[in-house]
Amino acid sequence: MATTTATISLASADLTSNALNITNTAILNKRGNEEGLDTVISATKTFTSTSAVDLVAVTGFTGTAANKVYIANTGTSESDYFTIGIQTEEIGRLYGGDWMFIPWDADTDDDITITPSVATAMTAEYIVFS
Amino acid sequence: MATTTATLTLSSDIQSDALLLTKQTSLYKANTTTGLDQTTGFTKTIFSATTNIVLLDSTTLGVGKAAKVYIANRSTDASEFVLITINAQIIGRLYAGDWMFIPWSQSDAAGNIELAPSVATALPVEYMMIHEGATQTSA
Repeated sequence: MATTTATISLASADLTSNALNITNTAILNKRGNEEGLDTVISATKTFTSTSAVDLVAVTGFTGTAANKVYIANTGTSESDYFTIGIQTEEIGRLYGGDWMFIPWDADTDDDITITPSVATAMTAEYIVFS
Repeated sequence: MATTTATLTLSSDIQSDALLLTKQTSLYKANTTTGLDQTTGFTKTIFSATTNIVLLDSTTLGVGKAAKVYIANRSTDASEFVLITINAQIIGRLYAGDWMFIPWSQSDAAGNIELAPSVATALPVEYMMIHEGATQTSA
C-alpha cells in the first residue's frame, strides 16, 4: 500500500505579538478508510493567453472521492497571477511562488480551471493524488 | 511588515521513484511584496451537528485580495469528513487528519467558505485565515 504524506508549516515571528508556528501532517488516504491513495499524475504547463481552461478535468477520476491536488505558480512576479476555480466558482489567486493544496471531490463537471492574468508566458505545476 | 511563510512538503512512494517535494512561499498582499498583516487567529471548533455553516464570511474589504485559508479536520475516525464549499460549489471533503491551504479571493459577497460535518458527534476542526482586510460587522 502506498504512503503519501503532506505536511504544512505556517510560521511567522511577527504576524501577531506571539510567534506563529503551526505544523500538520496528513496521510493521504482513500475515502473513508486507511488505505493510501495510489495514483498520481503531475504536469507542468506554460500558458500564453488569458483564456480560462481546464487544468485538471474530472474525466478518469472517481467522483466524491478523497483526491488531493497541489497547484503552484512557478513564476516570481508579484503582480501576475493564476485564478484557480472549480467549474465557474473562483477559489483564489496564485501569485508568483504561491501554492495551494486542496481536497478535490472530482464530481460531475467539477473540473479545476485556471486563468492566467496576463498573456505573457506563465507556468503552473500541479500534482493530483487519487 | 509581517513576514509569514507557508511550507509544503509532499512525500510519496506511489511511484517507483520516490516523490519528495518541498515548496515554500511568503504570504504577500495582492500585487505586492508586502506581507499579509492580519489574521483571524487560530481557531478550534468542535461541531456537533451536520448543519452546513459559514466558516468564513466573504466581506467587501476582502474581495479580490490575497487572503490565505488553512482548514484541518482533526477527527481520528477515518470515516468522518467535512464537506467544504465556496458559494455552494463543492471543493472537496476533508477526511480525518486532512488539511487544506488555499488562496481565497472572496470573488463576491456570496463567496463564503462553508463547512458541513458528516456526523453530528463531536468533530473537531481547526482553521485560520491570514489576510489583508475584512469588513467589520456593526454592533
